[in-house]
Amino acid sequence: MMKPVHNSRLFFAAATLLFLVCAGQAATKQGPQKQGRLNAEEQKVINYLVADWGEDYSVTSVDIAMAALKMKPSEESRFRIGNHIKAHPELHEIIRRWGWVTLVLTPDEKLIARTLINAERDGKPQPTVSDIAKAVGITEAQTDRGLSMLERYEVVQRAASKGAGYKVVPRYIKWEPRLDFIFHKVSLDSGRQFNTN
Amino acid sequence: MLLVSSKLASEKATIDTSSPEGTARIHVVFNKGKPVTVEPASTILFMGGG
Repeated sequence: MMKPVHNSRLFFAAATLLFLVCAGQAATKQGPQKQGRLNAEEQKVINYLVADWGEDYSVTSVDIAMAALKMKPSEESRFRIGNHIKAHPELHEIIRRWGWVTLVLTPDEKLIARTLINAERDGKPQPTVSDIAKAVGITEAQTDRGLSMLERYEVVQRAASKGAGYKVVPRYIKWEPRLDFIFHKVSLDSGRQFNTN
Repeated sequence: MLLVSSKLASEKATIDTSSPEGTARIHVVFNKGKPVTVEPASTILFMGGG
């Protein structure tokens, strides 16, 4: 039979363990929420997009919405807004129908991704940064920034290779080629810009 | 095409897009529903789908 002192120690240890597990779960749940919290200006972009999506077949992307709201260009804000859209498909049917990639990436980022996807899909050598820049029609510095953003969105991941040093995450290689990373930007004389499908 | 030939048929609309599978950029300007600038010249415009 256990002594009462031993019993109370066991109870204390169990209670401490339970507390630590609960605290750990709370921290895990709080992490992504805190990371995904948008400031007032970023939330305005979300509100703009939710109102715009679906109008005139609109699938307007974050960069266009930021420009329409005359928001100071910021890669960090664009990423935070994009990540919010990626994490919240319940915001609008357009996210669920067309996928967050269509709405979040810029045309340059989509073409960079296509360059890597097409090479991997066709079994060709991985393109270098210079190859990608030439194919997409941008500078190598812009290509590096685009690759970095694609890595943050987990479309590509770093890999030791003779090419640009990234490989495409397998799930994106399996996408339907004609729907991969598309953009159709419409600019009207009135100044309105939007993407359509 | 559906949009520029219907709701935007009385406007000037500039379309920037990419080829369906490649990485080439396509730039088309429509004025009142008709294409006035198409780059590259080899671009094929069609309306439809399926």
